[in-house]
Formats: sequence, C-alpha cells, structure tokens
Amino acid sequence: MNGARARILAKLRSAQLTARLPVADSPHDRPEPARGSTQECIDRFRAELTALGVDCYLEGSAEGLRRRVVTLVDGRRILSWDPDLLPYGLGSLVGSATLGQNVRERQAEAEVGLTGCDAAIAETGSLVLLSGKGKSRAISLLPPLHVAVVQPKGFCFSMGEFFQTHAEDVAASASCTFVTGPSRTADIELTLTLGVHGPGKVIVLIGPDD
Amino acid sequence: MVVHLFHTCLVNEIYPDVAMAAVRVLERLGFEVNVPLAQTCCGQPAYNAGFHPDARLAGRHTLAVLGATTGPIVIPSGSCADMLIHQYEILFHDEPEWLEKVHAVAKRCQEFSQFVADFLSGASLGGRLSARVAYHPSCHLLRGLGVRTPPKMLLQAVNGVELVTLRDEEECCGFGGLFSVSNPEISASMMDRKLSSVLQSGADRLVSCDSGCLLHLAGGLRRRASSVKVQHLAEILDEALD
Amino acid sequence: MPTFSERVRTAAGQYTLQVALGRATGQLGAQRAAAFSSLDHSDLIRDGARAVKMTLLRDLGRHLSRFEERLIANGVHVHWAETADAANQIIVDIATRRHAKRILKAKSMASEETHLNDALEQAGFQVVETDLGEYIVQLGGDRPSHIIAPIIHLTREKVAELMHRELQVPYSDDPQTLARYAREKLRGEFLQGDIGVTGANFGIIEDGSICIVTNEGNGRMVTTLPPVHVVLMGIEKLVPTLADLDLFLKILARSATGQKLTAYTTLVRGPRRAGDECGAEEMHVVLLDNGRSRILAGETAEILGCIRCGACLNICPIYRSIGGHAYGDTYQGPIGAVVTPGLKGLRDWKELPFASTLCGACQEVCPVRLEIPRMLLSLRRAAVQETATSPQLKFAIKVFARIASRPRVYRVVTRMVRAIMRRRATQGWVTEAPGLAAGWTKVRDLKAPAAVTFQEIWRRRSKT
Repeated sequence: MNGARARILAKLRSAQLTARLPVADSPHDRPEPARGSTQECIDRFRAELTALGVDCYLEGSAEGLRRRVVTLVDGRRILSWDPDLLPYGLGSLVGSATLGQNVRERQAEAEVGLTGCDAAIAETGSLVLLSGKGKSRAISLLPPLHVAVVQPKGFCFSMGEFFQTHAEDVAASASCTFVTGPSRTADIELTLTLGVHGPGKVIVLIGPDD
Repeated sequence: MVVHLFHTCLVNEIYPDVAMAAVRVLERLGFEVNVPLAQTCCGQPAYNAGFHPDARLAGRHTLAVLGATTGPIVIPSGSCADMLIHQYEILFHDEPEWLEKVHAVAKRCQEFSQFVADFLSGASLGGRLSARVAYHPSCHLLRGLGVRTPPKMLLQAVNGVELVTLRDEEECCGFGGLFSVSNPEISASMMDRKLSSVLQSGADRLVSCDSGCLLHLAGGLRRRASSVKVQHLAEILDEALD
Repeated sequence: MPTFSERVRTAAGQYTLQVALGRATGQLGAQRAAAFSSLDHSDLIRDGARAVKMTLLRDLGRHLSRFEERLIANGVHVHWAETADAANQIIVDIATRRHAKRILKAKSMASEETHLNDALEQAGFQVVETDLGEYIVQLGGDRPSHIIAPIIHLTREKVAELMHRELQVPYSDDPQTLARYAREKLRGEFLQGDIGVTGANFGIIEDGSICIVTNEGNGRMVTTLPPVHVVLMGIEKLVPTLADLDLFLKILARSATGQKLTAYTTLVRGPRRAGDECGAEEMHVVLLDNGRSRILAGETAEILGCIRCGACLNICPIYRSIGGHAYGDTYQGPIGAVVTPGLKGLRDWKELPFASTLCGACQEVCPVRLEIPRMLLSLRRAAVQETATSPQLKFAIKVFARIASRPRVYRVVTRMVRAIMRRRATQGWVTEAPGLAAGWTKVRDLKAPAAVTFQEIWRRRSKT
C-alpha cells in the first residue's frame, strides 16, 4: 500500500512535466458571499421553501410556536433532539415522549423527527444540521416527516457566509448536512417522487427573535 | 477598398453561386473583390480526421496564398473561418515561424455575415423579398466564432422576410464533415430532428452560413420531396437586392 | 462486446429508447438553462471553478499528500489504489477484517468504474445498491446509461415489470408506488448494513473532509447507520477549501438537474466523535488512480477537472441519438468520449472521439468550461498516429493533402472527380454515391458538383 502511494505520487510528478493544462491565470476574482439582514433572510428563505414544497410557519411568540408543534406532532411517535437542545421551551413539551434512547429499529418506527437547526441558509432554503451529542443524524432522516425549528439569529444569507462564520463549529463536527427540501428522486422517467429514503415531508417553523 | 475572398473548396466545387452571390453583395457595399486563384482548401477535413501533418500541407499553402495579400479576408463559411481564425493556431502550435503567419492571417479573416454586419453596423442592406425563412446557426459559426445574431439581423432587415423560429434551433444538424459518412446512422438521426423542426416551422426557405450544413440538409429535404428552398445567406441577400 | 457500430445500430433501432432519451435530455437541459439564467455572476463563478481545478491539477500530487494528512488528522484511514483491482481488494479486505455480511452502496461512479460490486460479491459479500436508479439497475443485472439518471433508458413499465418479478410485489407502473417499494425494501437493509460505501463529489483538502450530494437521502443513510464508512474516490476529485466548495456547489446541482442544491449536501469529517449517536466508527478513503495519472500526463489532462454533473450528456446530440450504453463503458456522452480512451487506451476505444461533429455544445454548458472539442481532436490525432486507420481514408487524405498545395494539380484532379460525380447524377443530384461516400446517399441525396467552378466563372468574369 505504501508502495502504491509512492508510485502514484511519482507518476503524478512526472505527469506534471507534460500535462497539457491552460496557462495559469492570476487568481480569479470570485463574488463575495451574499449577505442580508435578518428580515431579508427570512423573506428569501420562505420564498425558497415555497418553491421546494416545504410548509413554513412564522410564529411571533414562543408560546405560539409550541402550540403549532403540538398540532403537528400530537399523537405521533416522535424522534427528537435532546430536549435541552430544542429552542423555545420545546424540550419540556417533548420530554420523555421521544424514541431517542431506543434501539435503531424502534427509532425507525417514529413518524415525526423534530429538530432545531444549527443554521439556516436563506439563499437556498436549506437547514444546516451539525452532528453532535443529542442531535442524532437519524432524527432528520428516518421518519417520514421532519419538523425543523429555526431561530432568526441562526440565519445566514448564503452558504459562503455560513462557512465563513461557522468555521469552528463545522470543524468540530463529524458531519454537516444541508437539508434542502424533502427527499426526492426523478430516476423513473424523470417523474418527481418525494420521500424515497429520507423524509417525504419537511415542515419548518421560524420563531421569534430572542 | 479591396477585400479578398477565400471561397472554400466546397463552394468552389459544388456551390459556385454562393461565392458569386457573396461577391455581388460585397460589391453592392462598395468593396472591390479579389479572389486569390491559387487557393485550394484550408485543410479542415484532414485536420478533423486526425491527420495533422497532412492538414499542415494544405495549411501552409493557404497561409502562403493569403499571406501574399493584405487587407480583409472574407469567408462564406463558418467552419472554414473558424479553421483559419482558431484552429491553425493549434495546428501550427509547434512551428513558430508559421505561427507568426497564422496570427497575421487570422486577424484579417472574418466570416461573411460577420463582415457584412460589422460593416453595416445596424444599417440595413436594403432589398426586398417575400419569404418565410428558417435560419440554421451552424456550430462553428455559433460557438466557434460566437456569431449569434448578425445573420438573423441581416435577414430580418430584408423587407418582406419573416424569420420563423426553429425548435431546438442551436442543435447541430449532424453534418460534421466526414462524420456524415463515417457515422451515418447518428448523422441521419440528427438530420431527422433538424428537418422535422424545419418542416414544423412552416418556413419556405432554409438559410445557413455554412455550405456543409446546406449540402446535408438540402440532400435530406430532397429525399423527403420537400419544396423548402435551401440557400446560403449570401444567396438570399443577393436575391433580395436584385 | 459488440462493436461501436453495432451498439449504435442497436440504439438507433430502439424506439422506446429514442423517446425516453428525447424527453429526458430535453427536460434536464431546459432545467439547467433556467437554473443558470437565474444565477448571479454565473460566468465569474464558472471561470473561478475552472481556475480552481486547473490550478489543482498542475500540482495534484502535492495536494493529494496534503489531503491525506488532513484526513488522517481527522481519524480517517487513507489507502492508495493504482488500479481498479487494487481498489476493490482494499475494500474486500476491509469487509473481511470487519466480518461484514451486508454492504450498502450509495451512488459512486468510481465504483462502477472498478466493478466493485462484482468483486465484493465474488468474495462472498452481499451488496445492496441504495440509489433508486442503481437499485433498479442491480435488480435487472443492467448497466447505468447516464451518470446522473442511471435508468433514463427504462420506461416505467419496464421498471414495474422488474420490481414485480424480482421483489414479488404487485405490479404497478406508478413511480410513487415503485419508489415506495424501494423505500420499504431498502429501509431494512439500511438498518442492518455492516459497511457503507460511497463515492465523493468533492474532497476538501484543508478540511480533511468529503462532500456527498444526493436527492434521495441514501448517501446520508449509508454514512450514518453502518459502523464502517468507505469512500472510493478518484484522485482528481479535490477542492482546496470550503470557500471553493461553495463555488462548486453553486454550479453542480444546477448543471445536473437545475436545482439550486440537491436535497442533501453532506460533509463528512472523519468517524463519529465522542457523544455522537450516529455515524461510522471507522472511516476509510480509497484514493483511486486507475489511469488518471496517465491522462494527466497528456493532451486531455484537463478532463480531470470534470465534476460529473452530466450537463454535457444532456446537450449532446450524439448522446441524444444513441444513449449511454452505446458508449460501452462507465462514462457516457462527451465526457465518456474523452475519459474512456484516456483510462483504457485508444486501441479499443478510438471510435468514441470520432463519434462527434465537434459542435461544441458540451463546452458551452460545462460548468468548468472543459475544452472537449479540442480534446476530441487531440485524441483523433493520437488515434491516427498510434492505431490502424482505414487504408482508403488514409490514401484519400494523403492524396488530398498533396494536391491541396499544388493548385494546378488540384484543379485537374477535382475536375476529374466532378466529372465522375456528374455522370452519376440525374437532374443535378446523385442518389447512390460510390465508395467512402456511400453512407451519405443511404439517407439523403447528394448535390452533384457544378459544371463550372467558381474559379472558372471568376476567370471569365475577370477577362471581360
């Protein structure tokens, strides 16, 4: 294996001598990552979610948001982030109703996955989910419905902005996923079908500023 | 002012009227046209077939013939113009003395519609002709030379010409030089799609700036017993001016 | 394997394929165009992406070493594979050591290239494709025909038949139902997989992480649930930083399907950390050469900048006419026509670079502006120099080249050819051309040469 590494690197070094590549340009200007105010983020985010077929509720109070969550998940088996990590006091609502501690197969029986998010990208309508203790990746993946709660302070206008402002968080996590709408495929005759492996439905709640 | 016509081998042998039409249009614009009679072929068929040393034989001759003149060189073919303007650079990549000649000639060359449209700068060529025209943008003209709107503008400026839209207008017609005989099924399939666009468009004329495309499409239309008239841009402009 | 001509003829004769191709490529092409027209600074972004890739390729070895360093720092095991067989063996060894039984695959073109599934199955492991299209390909013992839409060549009825037969489910040709069958069947597999194998859309050098984009969620499943994650990636699939990744993510999904982003864009940075409930305990990256270093040494080096978006397939009129299987190997369309001879040699694959009109549509849509027509011409030149050419063609070209530099001889020879063709013509058209030109008149008439050339007309005109 070490032999392979040395041989590949040797081939690449000698390839450099004859490689037909375009003449090096000076470093290219690239557009600065787009930024925006919180309101601009919210407006853009909602427009993108509409285009993605994701329902979005804007709640003016923590109380209102909690009530909305209850309507959405009541009576269903829930998988959720660790209660301490959910915003707007949702943790107390969810409490011990989650399947979070159970074996994988039990988790797979959940009907709803409830998460916060580590950030939200307005430009593409994406939720950013970093892995970590109490934020199991399976929660936003296994159940057929994913309910995600976004706090206005969590918005970045663009992914570029996110990478700039959250570099440390990203480096500290084994995984960082941008969720942009429900799971989908168009493999069969290019006909859109939702909910192939991941959730077929995503609902986003945006709460008030702290 | 004198301009030199690089008529191309295809036009010389099969479509001489195209060159005559181009000459008349250029003379109508006030140019004196010179035809360097020692020209033969730019070498594109050999080049595209991968025979680069052979292509260079034709290329050196072409460069010598054109290099013996000064002033604008007008070429009624997008693919031959692209050959002289862009591909010779690659063909003579390793021959610095020829590269110099390549650069000197390349910067004098313009494809016919490009030359006429540049000269007119938006003014109309004039002329009238009642016709429903479909325009097929040949690939080397469109993408190689970046000439997108001049031919259409020239056509639309003719009083009485109605330019119809071709479905999938920018898709290649399937000629591709030797490709048409070395990959006949694919060429036929592409031709079918292009011709069905033409027939669906309701045009009574099909116009292009490349005789290769015209040879291929006219042959297909005739095989289908279609009455659509196939013309080079120079021919229809010349007809309108008459 | 049938010859290229045979494969082309087969494709040309398949009506359902033609219909499927037309619909699919038209739709994907239109979606791509719409997505780019709404992207601000798209030209700047594409120029920047090209510059990033070309800079990387100029010093690929050094960047790979750095990537390895950063991966190891994140707890990833790094392997180097010179050949397809070596890569497969590395993965078989990992599976063996882990006493694995069931291996889950998320979409990986590199694994298609190495025929990984065959190697794993021969070694006694059960392999399950989790991408819906690839799953259906696997069920049917088929091969994918498009790098983004693997079953573009199958109608829904064919898929229904396949699932009904192989999965014993009730026949249904409703795509929603078919997807549900796959979801239910594969859900069990996901929960019991021992190893997840993925490709990588990008390896981010400074971050020591890999980026995987999917729409279905199988990429996430396969990197989240099994205890071992193996990445098989080409050595060229790198970008230096997350800021570069951002640039590429702006154009990858747009080019492939017209989406701003796919449903899931996942960065994986090593195995799970303390406190993580999901994620692999053990992560491997297998860096695959398999001929890429040889491509890098030549005229088609820049093809290694390809980000596998499929835009060139969707716009190519040749692909549209013959579909993916006719290309005969892992990669199809314009990218396939350059990469396959590069990875596998021109001798067996030289028809591919010639199966093109050099129309340039591929270069026009390529997000990193790869100069595919130029590379096809280089391959043609190499084919003529290094492999056997048709003697008639060679003769005709040589004669032509020599007379093209001798105007008087040229005029004599062309006059002869004109006369021969005119004799065969009726009313100015030839309906049966001889020799090399016979292919022409199978499907169209050939205008007979003029009685008098333009030069002859001109000489007369100049005299008067």
